[in-house]
Amino acid sequence: MTWEIGLPLPFGATLPDNPTDAELVASCKRGELRAFEKLYELHAARMKSLAFHLLASRGDAEDAVQEAFLKVYKAVGGFEENSALSSWIYRILINCCYDTLRKKHRLAEKPMLSEFPIESKLGLKVALERALLGLNERHRLVFLMFEVEGLKHSEIAGVLEVPEGTSRAWLFEAKRALKQMLTEPRK
Amino acid sequence: MIFECGDLERALANPELMAEAQRHIRTCETCRNEYRVWNEISNTAKQLHSEWESPDLWLKIRRDLQAQVRPAKGWWLDRKIWAGAIVAAALVLFAFLRWPVSAPNTPASTGKDFLTEQAFKEVEKNEAAYRRSIEDLSRLAKPELEGKAAPPILASYREKLLMLDAAIQETRSNVAQNPFNASLQTELADLYREKRQTLEEVLKSGQRN
Repeated sequence: MTWEIGLPLPFGATLPDNPTDAELVASCKRGELRAFEKLYELHAARMKSLAFHLLASRGDAEDAVQEAFLKVYKAVGGFEENSALSSWIYRILINCCYDTLRKKHRLAEKPMLSEFPIESKLGLKVALERALLGLNERHRLVFLMFEVEGLKHSEIAGVLEVPEGTSRAWLFEAKRALKQMLTEPRK
Repeated sequence: MIFECGDLERALANPELMAEAQRHIRTCETCRNEYRVWNEISNTAKQLHSEWESPDLWLKIRRDLQAQVRPAKGWWLDRKIWAGAIVAAALVLFAFLRWPVSAPNTPASTGKDFLTEQAFKEVEKNEAAYRRSIEDLSRLAKPELEGKAAPPILASYREKLLMLDAAIQETRSNVAQNPFNASLQTELADLYREKRQTLEEVLKSGQRN
């Protein structure tokens, strides 16, 4: 008999129902499974959606989220508690998405619109999806995080490691470019 | 400031100018239209949020995290397990120290075994009491573990308890063949302690849900 057989991580009985970031981080640093489960409950839906918009495939998006959680687990020991936990997690996720894109040699291509769900191919929504592909990467990221996923500028600034004002300015640029693409007749 | 059509973009970038812009929009159809498109982009963007069920995703992540634990944190590094081992060792030592008191009433020891018959009975008695208390805990945890709507974490506890039960059974049969082997007794005590902790975690998890 050996003890190496899949014993669960410590469950984290000390974690409150609505933990603060600091409590979550401390619990994650102790390797408590409950803390990671809580992170999943709090962020997985938005993480999947953001990854989906970057990778244009639900399967790839789920793989990226899975990979991101593993990286969070491995790196949480070095997480500096003066930065926002959510920003850090989304930054890891975005890097995982870029890794996936690099691995699949898709950087030169834009995500395939055909992989978006059929029900979204309607009017302005599909036009917007298409227009988003024409934005530069940082504008697109800020737009996706702020307008689509509802992150705050303070969080986005943390993810992209830029000042909050820059995040606001990039959002404005993104919307201006989108408005232009959506309203001006194609040449 | 006199707000003109050319100022609208500046106002969209700078929320402080929005009050002025709103006043202008009421009277200027072109700017009203521009502003409507601007807002429509934001409203439509919210519909791009994509949600779908991924029932296996958390299970996969959990499996990944658990797989990381094994090489990174062997049981021999776990302080709780060490504490359990020390308690078990203390139990064995306690049983051993009691031996001289009762020795005159027992047959002479062969001196070959670490535990005397008397000390062994003491350990066996303690083990039986401990086992009964764990069985009580098992009964309490049963509804949590067998509930139809049990969260995924309980499946992992169920697996762990099954493995622990198998290990306990195996170790007990080894102990029965070699009752004076102190390391087997310690191992058995560790297994019981681990089972007790797991059952306590199951019960706590049930209270939380």
